[in-house]
Amino acid sequence: MHPAFRCTGLSKSYPGFRLGPLDLALQPGTVLGYLGPNGSGKTTTMHCLAGLLRPDTGQTEVYGHIVDISESGWKTDVAYVSNRQSFYERWSGGRNLAFLSEFYPAWSADKAANLSRRLDLPLQTPVRDLSRGNRVKLGLVAALAANPRLLLLDEPTAGLDPVVRDDFLGVLFDLLETGECALFYSTHILSDIGRLADELAFLVDGQIVLRQTVADLLEDWRSITFQRTTDLPELKSVVEHEHTGRDHRVISSDGDTTIAHLSELGAEHIRPMMVSIDEIAVRILRGDSHVATD
Amino acid sequence: MLLNLSDQSSETLQQQIVRQLRSRILTGELAAGDALPSIRGLAKQLRVSVITVDRAYDRLSQEGLIGSRRGKGYFVTPVSAKKKTAIARQRLDDHLDKLVEDALAEGLTPDDIRRLLETALDRR
Repeated sequence: MHPAFRCTGLSKSYPGFRLGPLDLALQPGTVLGYLGPNGSGKTTTMHCLAGLLRPDTGQTEVYGHIVDISESGWKTDVAYVSNRQSFYERWSGGRNLAFLSEFYPAWSADKAANLSRRLDLPLQTPVRDLSRGNRVKLGLVAALAANPRLLLLDEPTAGLDPVVRDDFLGVLFDLLETGECALFYSTHILSDIGRLADELAFLVDGQIVLRQTVADLLEDWRSITFQRTTDLPELKSVVEHEHTGRDHRVISSDGDTTIAHLSELGAEHIRPMMVSIDEIAVRILRGDSHVATD
Repeated sequence: MLLNLSDQSSETLQQQIVRQLRSRILTGELAAGDALPSIRGLAKQLRVSVITVDRAYDRLSQEGLIGSRRGKGYFVTPVSAKKKTAIARQRLDDHLDKLVEDALAEGLTPDDIRRLLETALDRR
């Protein structure tokens, strides 16, 4: 089976910035969260995948079809949603949808109507008069009505109010039920995808520094307090260490290893606690950790 | 299947699902032969990732509490009363280990702990 997408040696440079070379693939029916600070290259990656931008090197396939302006096999499988979606501003949402439907053989007008109703999206209003939330909803309806097998979401909920954001995420959870669509979801807010994503990929300065399942991250990372009177050697897997007197607290990317090491060293009152996915992400993205994954 | 999941818990979502389903099976709320929701169905309902439910079901399968039939999804496995007791005993044991360790560290004597356990049982 072909992956939903696969990019190989993908790179794109601008003055002062270089993305890649990236090797990245996504299995059908799965969700990959793409995390990185602003300017790390998330949108550039998305644009290359969506065929909106031609990479300098490397190539991308969507379900086995090469993504290239001159090819067409990939186009009907991919949909792209961002919070900067362009529509015909003077047309209503409904007219925009009708227009778009012409380009997608698998378009479902029923789906567009149902989703619009569910999201409370006014279809008669000219797009230029739509709120930010409603524009994003229109983008999502347009994307899903085309029945894509790969949905690219580029910080879609940035600037949305909590209710709209919740509705939006609800639609995505429903979409995943059939297992027919894969999601590649970029954001810098983790709460969006902490529960949605199977895996997270962390992008720092144009490079993916880590890709791991959320479950494994939560299982591996631990915040550990302990007491120790004498000096400590460098601790295994520790990404952060603070102490006052003999009280120590470390954050470890591999709790079991660190705890075993601490026991060996004779540390006392070793107490591990889980680390939230938000805190883990911050430490990986800050890049001050050597993020031990061995 | 409705479960209580919280992002503020000291357990992962996966652990919360495992614990709540296990408890429903051990108490008989979910009986042998009962069908469980599909992995993707439950993920949708609970608004968690597919891999979370997948791994939770995996865990319960390993414990012998649920099983899958090809093409028919997951079912609660018939578990003998003896095995249920064994699982319950094991879980209590795990909890007690931690409690006893903390209590001893905090200065209670083994006799204190025995007495408190008796008192707790008498309150039932």
